[in-house]
Amino acid sequence: MIDALAAGLRANSCTVTGPMNADDARTAIVERVSGLVACTDDIPVPGVVDALLARGLEVLTPDDPRWTARLVDAAVGITGARLAVVQPPAIALAAAPGAPRATSLVPPEHVCVLRVVDVIATFADAMAEIADGELPSALTWIGGPSRTADLEMITTFGVHGPRAVEVVLVS
Amino acid sequence: MTGHGITTPGRDFHERTATAVADPVLQKALQNLDRRLRTAGESAAAHPEWKERAAAIRRETLLDLDGWLDRLERSLAARGVEVHRASTPGDARRVILDLARARGARTVVKSKSMATEEIDLGGALEQAGLTSVETDLGEYIVQLAGERPSHMITPAIHKTLPQIRDVLAREAHTDLPVDREALTAWARERLRGEFLRADIGITGVNFAAADTGTLVLVTNEGNGRFCTTLPRMHVVVMPVEKVIPRLADVGVLLPLLTTHATGQALSNYVTMISGPRRAGELDGPDEMHVVFLDNRRRTLLGTTYEEMLACIRCGACLNVCPVYRNVSGHAYDAVYSGPMGKVLTPLLSGGAEGADLPYGSTLCHACSDACPVKIPLSDMILALRADTPERSSPVRRRRRLFWTVWARAWSTPRGYRLTTTLGRMSRGRVPGLRAWTSTRELPRPARVSFRDRWAKEHR
Repeated sequence: MIDALAAGLRANSCTVTGPMNADDARTAIVERVSGLVACTDDIPVPGVVDALLARGLEVLTPDDPRWTARLVDAAVGITGARLAVVQPPAIALAAAPGAPRATSLVPPEHVCVLRVVDVIATFADAMAEIADGELPSALTWIGGPSRTADLEMITTFGVHGPRAVEVVLVS
Repeated sequence: MTGHGITTPGRDFHERTATAVADPVLQKALQNLDRRLRTAGESAAAHPEWKERAAAIRRETLLDLDGWLDRLERSLAARGVEVHRASTPGDARRVILDLARARGARTVVKSKSMATEEIDLGGALEQAGLTSVETDLGEYIVQLAGERPSHMITPAIHKTLPQIRDVLAREAHTDLPVDREALTAWARERLRGEFLRADIGITGVNFAAADTGTLVLVTNEGNGRFCTTLPRMHVVVMPVEKVIPRLADVGVLLPLLTTHATGQALSNYVTMISGPRRAGELDGPDEMHVVFLDNRRRTLLGTTYEEMLACIRCGACLNVCPVYRNVSGHAYDAVYSGPMGKVLTPLLSGGAEGADLPYGSTLCHACSDACPVKIPLSDMILALRADTPERSSPVRRRRRLFWTVWARAWSTPRGYRLTTTLGRMSRGRVPGLRAWTSTRELPRPARVSFRDRWAKEHR
């Protein structure tokens, strides 16, 4: 199921890393990013913010009063995910005080850290489960990088949202 | 519904289709539609049993639309979303303008929505002195060109890349290359500024779940996400038929919508909104309003055309229609084009607009076959011909004269004998039929008529 998800997300033009353990995931994330990094507090790998700071990177977190003003300058947004679906391949992010909606929207690159236990087989199954539970103010499903086919029906990436989406799978 | 945006010139649908077919640039742009048809057609064909389920879900709310709307309103209110009911486009515009004025709003960002086109909201906002910016790339191009969308999923399908470059370069006051990446990057920068300063985000909605009060919004670019994330107020224009019974139904309806619209298993972004931002959240609107738009829709309940309200606006019927594929959306001179537009335009205007549209159809049934929720579009087009009288035109007057003479002549044995004898003598060369026979074969009359043969053999 995880292989199918990874293949599906790649077909949607995402980069997929893992599955790997939390330590390897933290290293992979920290090595990949640069510039101002915005992090939500729902990343399912402990110590990402500290590791980024230790590498000398500038980190923006939702408890920072300058979050809203500075997010537009962030190079990367790192988030967790509520769940993911294999068919059709997509990840779902829930808005929360520590997980602003714009983290996966405004920066040109989005890194999404996903626990493999949160992967569900089909969209219909996921919707049945979601509809039964507590709903966030916004649940955002993401298939891959922002795209448009408005120019002569040929796909162009990064029109409003991120140009690149990287999914890190954590076992 | 008419009165804004340019259209293909011509007095009626018949003339406008001729103009569109003769336009070489438009015809070149329309070749791009084939790309969509291939991808959308292939993936949609895989799920026949899903169509059955989706069709049933869409008809469930039509049995008691008012009841489902009341349920939705209660669920939305429980989440802190205010509902406004608008019976006419004017009512809807008034509600939204009042909200904008009361908040001192100056700039509005819009995510592509057919419902807002239907009520000409962009025009009304501009008239009221607000800046209204379309943020879907195709819709933005169409807005800058002073036109209206020609396809409900890809609004600028009628434009070639060099034409799009010209439109954007005029706005940029600088030269831009004929290059997809560069044009997209320019639009991204420009529209990012609009998102950041907008006071209100206005969107349509794809599905509104009555049980949870959740609004489901589908986009690929992310503009819908921006409109519902950054501005302080979010206003949703919701045609009444968008209500669905349960949020879980989205599991069936949404993949069907996206496969038929673009061939994607799921659109790139799906946003499920359950109320404004909550305590402690850093983004999302502080207040949300949903405008239930009726605009004669409830008058369709219980009529031949009730099932038209099951439509999920996927555009599949446009993509397969032999008429649409040759003339594109502007020839219809209406907000909704293609087969569904031929049905919806006369119905939503009470017959005042688009009365000639149902006549511009080959009745080939491709639209009915393509529809993911099994709306009998072809049958409705035929029914509308009976229900809406055609406007007068020279072609129609000649046609009516022909049928009148024919009916009179064949009402008497003498008239029948005379005309069939004349027909045999002409050997199929009937004057005045050249336009008709240019694409059709006129059957050749038999050398000896059946009546003559009968008379001879039974003498």
